[in-house]
Amino acid sequence: MTEALVFMLGLGLICGSILSIASKIFYVYEDPRKTEVEGLLAGANCGGCGFAGCAAAAEAVVTGEAPPSVCIVGGAESAANVARVMGVDAGTAEPKFSSSKCDGGNRAEDSYFYMGVDSCQAVSAFFGGKRKCDVGCLGYGDCVRACLFNAIKIGPEGFPVIDEKKCVGCGACERACPKQVLSVTTIRDRLLHFNREDDCLAPCQQTCPAQIDIPLYIAQIKNGDYEGAVRTIRDRNPLLLSCGRVCPHPCENICRRGIEDEPVSINQLKRFVADREMNSGSRIPIPCAPPTGKKVAVIGGGPAGLTCAYFLKRLGHNVSIYEAMPKPGGMIRYGIPEYRLPKKVLDWEIEGILNLGIRVHTNVKMGVDFDIPSLVAADYDAIFLGIGAWKDYLLKIEGENLSGCHTGIDFLSRIASGESIPIGRKVVVVGGGNTAIDCVRTLVRLGAEEVYIVYRRTRKEMPANVVEIEAADHEGVKFIFLAAPVRVLGDDQGKVTQLEYLKMELGEPDASGRRRPVPVKGSETLLPVDMVISAIGQEPEMTFKGEGKRAQSLKTTRRNTIEVNPETLQSSIPYIFAAGDVATGPSLVVEAIGGGRLAARSIHLYLSGKTVTPPEKSLFKRHIPGTLFDSVPGIQKVPRVPMPEIPVGERIYSFVEVDQVVSEEDAKKESSRCLNCGRICYNKDVAA
Amino acid sequence: MGDYIQMIIGFILVNNILLMQYLGNCPFLGTSKRMETAVGMAMAVVFVLVMAGAITWATETYLLKPLGLEYLRTMSFIVVIAALVQFVEMFLKKSVPELYTGLGIYLPLITTNCAVLGVCLINIKEEYNFMQTIVSSFGYSSGFGFALILFAGVRERVLLGRVPKALQDTSIGLITAGMLSLAFFGFKGMI
Amino acid sequence: MAKTLTQEFAKGLWAEIPPFRLVLGLCPTLAVTKTVENAIGMGIAVIFVLTGSNMLVAALRKIIPNKVRIACFIIVIATFVIVVEQLMQAYTYSLFLKLGIFIPLIVVNCIPLGRAEAFAYKNGIAASTADGLGLGIGYALSLTVLSAIREVFGNGTFLGATVFGPSFQPFKFMVEAPGAFVCLGLMLCIMNAMGKK
Repeated sequence: MTEALVFMLGLGLICGSILSIASKIFYVYEDPRKTEVEGLLAGANCGGCGFAGCAAAAEAVVTGEAPPSVCIVGGAESAANVARVMGVDAGTAEPKFSSSKCDGGNRAEDSYFYMGVDSCQAVSAFFGGKRKCDVGCLGYGDCVRACLFNAIKIGPEGFPVIDEKKCVGCGACERACPKQVLSVTTIRDRLLHFNREDDCLAPCQQTCPAQIDIPLYIAQIKNGDYEGAVRTIRDRNPLLLSCGRVCPHPCENICRRGIEDEPVSINQLKRFVADREMNSGSRIPIPCAPPTGKKVAVIGGGPAGLTCAYFLKRLGHNVSIYEAMPKPGGMIRYGIPEYRLPKKVLDWEIEGILNLGIRVHTNVKMGVDFDIPSLVAADYDAIFLGIGAWKDYLLKIEGENLSGCHTGIDFLSRIASGESIPIGRKVVVVGGGNTAIDCVRTLVRLGAEEVYIVYRRTRKEMPANVVEIEAADHEGVKFIFLAAPVRVLGDDQGKVTQLEYLKMELGEPDASGRRRPVPVKGSETLLPVDMVISAIGQEPEMTFKGEGKRAQSLKTTRRNTIEVNPETLQSSIPYIFAAGDVATGPSLVVEAIGGGRLAARSIHLYLSGKTVTPPEKSLFKRHIPGTLFDSVPGIQKVPRVPMPEIPVGERIYSFVEVDQVVSEEDAKKESSRCLNCGRICYNKDVAA
Repeated sequence: MGDYIQMIIGFILVNNILLMQYLGNCPFLGTSKRMETAVGMAMAVVFVLVMAGAITWATETYLLKPLGLEYLRTMSFIVVIAALVQFVEMFLKKSVPELYTGLGIYLPLITTNCAVLGVCLINIKEEYNFMQTIVSSFGYSSGFGFALILFAGVRERVLLGRVPKALQDTSIGLITAGMLSLAFFGFKGMI
Repeated sequence: MAKTLTQEFAKGLWAEIPPFRLVLGLCPTLAVTKTVENAIGMGIAVIFVLTGSNMLVAALRKIIPNKVRIACFIIVIATFVIVVEQLMQAYTYSLFLKLGIFIPLIVVNCIPLGRAEAFAYKNGIAASTADGLGLGIGYALSLTVLSAIREVFGNGTFLGATVFGPSFQPFKFMVEAPGAFVCLGLMLCIMNAMGKK
């Protein structure tokens, strides 16, 4: 008896001491939550959960692949304890769902007649299936049989429909499908998917800088699933109210319907669902992945910063925004005037993003109130720079600093902050971009009697949105084309009295493909004005670079933007990422949104300890070969729904929103004009 | 040398530990749903079992027998195996992280795998010497891995079949294992 | 949790009967069900170990530190297994030989370990004992039923006594390994069909 006891004690002692020494020697850092979760699982290593033992299950829980209720032996109590460690409700760990990317296939023509076994795997063996569409669903239902949970059935249109309530994300259907139509994704995977060369994509989705699944949300609107449409847009773009109003919608330019007919009014439909959510008074909940415990600082609360913060938060990271202005929003708050994007709408939109649990510090400026080393010292794991391009270019002509001279962004942001600036009677704005147009339309509303735009090329070359130029025209703005300012003249009190400009003519095309304006000798003309605003472009303000060694080692480009890898948006300092105007130079809001999401992906990779690599097979700005057509046969012309707007007589005296939202009836009508490219195999005999 | 080869073939095909000796069935059914998991598990079992066989043989010969404490065999074996697995896990994590990412998560699962303890006990019962212990551990564990990988291949296919509801999952898994076992029956009398 | 002891006991007999409802502890289920005699012997051993370990774990649950609880459970279970082993060796030597290594292997059977973790570590001695007893008897019953099917068809006998006439050709498949797998698979199927809780 004593012998046995001594023996067992000795054995235990030897094993214990060897292990404790080994654990010190072979110490490797790992997520502390893993050990904690492992301790809460049953430890029976029975494999009943489908993972290879309790340690594997714990790892899956920590990485968000398995729900806290993973353990079948431990039961409800273990689930509750694990959930507590992970900081989520039991059963709400990142849910995995199967989703089908094909919504059709029955409409495509057959290329041969098939009479074999009823199995997708078998059919696909013969030339990839009998239909002409070689990427779509075959419809024989291998996935239905593979699903152990009866969550999939073949819908009336011959493609799989998934019951999200039953789906557990086991992935059996994904493995069964020979066409990769079904894929099992988590929130993270879905949010971080970028358009790929081998995706089945409509031209509009390929073109959209934010890569919104446009055909899907239009189909959802058509079926009356407005909430679903909002969710689809939010998976790519958190600023749908703003974009629905100000986006110049490059997607519509490439719409296949536009080849034969007017393009689908995509942006109006986005605005319709976005406004509907806002007017309903309740917000559609936004699901987030379980918290990871990592901290990211987002510098700049503009579209790029807000988008990046939004996606990082949804990926489970802890985000704080640092904003130099009194309120977040950046250029879309201070650069876009009230009549295009009402502040009330913007406030509601930003509030929705911040409600996810993002902290905002306003009135703090990088390089003044804090700098890169202080953020590192405050334990931030990564930094995102989205400080925009706020520094106006100067005309570099004589008399530019006379009283009555302003610069575009400065002027707009002061107006937007509620400052009152004395407005002249006759005002001239120099420049042809959106900022110039915003300035003139603002001036009209502020009571200027005569407003001129001076631009050195012609109307055709103006970089501003066409609709904006037209609207300015309607509101009585006078355009002076082919004119280059050379001097601002003032009176003896230092006030502006005249602008002198040279007439130009168009010469050879330059690098941008536009014809270069050449001055006409001796054509000096005087324009009597009492206010001059120059809006000829902006660049990022890099004053923070003066602060300390760290900031100085951040590489910048010739155009004074931050140098980043265009495919990952990582800067020369590995933990700093940049997107939006500060990385691209002045560009579209939707471009900044696309950049914000790409940066969020890279930051997520960086924080997960993986190498920051570009998305695989990414399309970026390119189009999939063969998806841009010259003609689309079988289309019957249906005019697009006109956009309601306030008449000119009413609108020029106030800052009320000019463009109005379409009615539900019109939205339905417009959505049915969509050809469903990339969703349903196109067949001219049944085309809409 | 010839004897050893014969032993190994015998353990893999004729006396397959999973299909003929009924050992290690919990992980067999648990980890065979995916090929990837099955391969990892198979490798880990071979890895651990050979070491466990050696160390338990040493425990038996140099500690239990001289002290006359054979009745403590079960308890001391499980303690030794558990400690060994923990040690190997820590060692791999630090020194051979490539191997750890492949096998690591399967290692703790093996502590309570009855195939491991079972083979160690069989080795003692058959009174093998050290070399025979190593060979038999290797043979049995390879047999385990072989059957597991075969079974995972079959099971991935079965997932696609139209299985009646009541038969799904473990039930059809066991019947499939039965068929596989029947196939292995054909090797009987080979040696 | 206001379950009575009877309920704790009864759930092991049907609602959570291993290995059918709680798919754990398959190896001995397959290995020892060749004859009813073996199955009953094994069943009794499991009842003893499960009840004993549940009782002891429940009694010690306030003392066992959380971090090393799994190791402690294994030691407790191993103790009872050794006791059973010694007792069987002493009183039913022939049965001990037949069951062979499956008696020591109860240590790594998931049932006692799983119950220790999931139940005994959190509940009182009485409830844990009832739980262990119930599940143990349930397990023993399952083994007996399975072995009865296998022995009757595979060998034509029940507890060694001949059941069919001399013309009966034993269905040898049933007592061999493949039969064990198929038979258990079909039993599981029947249980599934009989009642999704």
